[in-house]
Amino acid sequence: MTIELFEKLTKSIIEGNHEESLRLTEEAIEKNIPANSILQEGLIPGIKTVGELFSNGEYFLPELLVSGKAMSRAVDRIEPLLSKKEAFHIGRYLIATVKGDIHDIGKNIVIMMLKGNGWDVTDLGVDVSPEKVCNAIREGDYDIFGMSTLLTITMPAANETVEAIKEAGLREKVKIMIGGAPVTQDFADRIGADEYAKDAWEAVTKAQQLVAGAS
Amino acid sequence: MTMTSVERVVKALRGEEHDRVPHIELIHDKKVREAILPGASYEEFIEHLDIDGILLFDKLFFWKHETVDEAKGLVRDQWGALTHFSTEALGHPVERAIKSEKDLDSYVPPDPDEEWRYTALKEYVKRWKGERAIIAHATDVFDIARESFLGDVLYYESMVENPDLVDRVNQIVLEYNLKSIRNQIELGADLLSVTGDFAMTKGPMVSPKHTARFLTPATQKQVELGHELGVPVFKHTDGNIWKIIQLLVDTGIEGLHPIDPMAGMDLAEVRAKYPNLCLMGNVNCGATLSWKSEEEVRQEVKECIKKAGYGGRYICMSSNSIHSGVRPENYVAMVNAIREFGKYPLELD
Repeated sequence: MTIELFEKLTKSIIEGNHEESLRLTEEAIEKNIPANSILQEGLIPGIKTVGELFSNGEYFLPELLVSGKAMSRAVDRIEPLLSKKEAFHIGRYLIATVKGDIHDIGKNIVIMMLKGNGWDVTDLGVDVSPEKVCNAIREGDYDIFGMSTLLTITMPAANETVEAIKEAGLREKVKIMIGGAPVTQDFADRIGADEYAKDAWEAVTKAQQLVAGAS
Repeated sequence: MTMTSVERVVKALRGEEHDRVPHIELIHDKKVREAILPGASYEEFIEHLDIDGILLFDKLFFWKHETVDEAKGLVRDQWGALTHFSTEALGHPVERAIKSEKDLDSYVPPDPDEEWRYTALKEYVKRWKGERAIIAHATDVFDIARESFLGDVLYYESMVENPDLVDRVNQIVLEYNLKSIRNQIELGADLLSVTGDFAMTKGPMVSPKHTARFLTPATQKQVELGHELGVPVFKHTDGNIWKIIQLLVDTGIEGLHPIDPMAGMDLAEVRAKYPNLCLMGNVNCGATLSWKSEEEVRQEVKECIKKAGYGGRYICMSSNSIHSGVRPENYVAMVNAIREFGKYPLELD
């Protein structure tokens, strides 16, 4: 019975049905199923499948967004019921589009996927200066800083941001990730980023690997 | 056989015999223009490089913008969206015109029939009609409806959850665009361009099913109006379009720009599959025009012409625009290379 409910929950996330995901979450709570089980066995398998479908080119932005909405509605409902130890919190992620670049859709998709997978995300927005990034890292307690650049002409700004983080003595405080249309693994290596992600789903999986490696 | 620039461009789009590969661009950034010909107007720049046409990008030529905060680069566009201008000619909406569906009930769209919008177009017609191609322009419905009206999240979610909202917003924009296009062509434009990305580097933004339901029908209406008024039409979209290219072709376009090399689109492959389509662009403005050598630009232009120029249905352009990061000397090298390698009959082997 419980397994069947979990399967329905997973399906509601994959199908992006936020009314159904919330209704089934309520039903599970009423049946005294532990919140952590609802999360781990019902919701997370759903959003993982969505990430893979997007990565494989079977899902597109609308499907990704409605699934993300179904996930966040359910997570909002069970979050207060999770114990501190169980809290849906993998880590804290600081994200920005580099200086000179005002594109935000790629960054916003990554934010949605990170949030759906348990990350506490702080978004600095677009066209963000290295100084602003350094201030945020200095003042916050982030595990990872991720930046995106959509234009070739703003790629140097990614390098400048990494250099500014180093000069400010903050390099050991965060792991650095980078993504965006013109970015390659080679470029990420050259500027000294810890990870490069080719799409939103890879950003999530690599972020999880970085944190796992750090613990 | 010599001919005027406008004949060259129109014949390339229609697949008729002409003298050399034409060259136009969607946008020439002011900084690049200034470096090439200091102090000159746009018109003088076009004539200096003998570019075959001028495209009147609607957001730059026909739209009304109200300054909100000059220091921060914030303006309100004519649809009501707060837009941020950074280093590029085109801004990026940061706050949308519509917060909820209810806002649409009292929404008053901009008036495309206002005379002031067409001042530059009339000047260009007076200056160049019959010589250079004067290119009408509409930002595609999907682009305006998503970016200025609803924003990415609400637009995409509504495609699944509330398609009527998408239809309503699309219709408002389409009605404006159709009137604007009619005005531009009746005032003397020689061809029509419809720009707006349908794809990203990895593939289409929305599924082929959603593309066919929400995106291409509006494009097709604009294409049909262009044809009704006697001009050829090309569509621009960045990104990897393989999954939706047939839908784009089915709108009736004569030309497709830019066969985005940064998204892995191959000019020769598209040429082979669509021999009757005029291909446009493909000279990489993200890499080659921005930081490679002039000789590398020359070789890339030659390669593009070799891949797509045989048969005449090719217009050599950058892979997006001459943006602020393009090296001015590389753009000049590109224009020179088109002249060097683009004469028909082509002799490139």
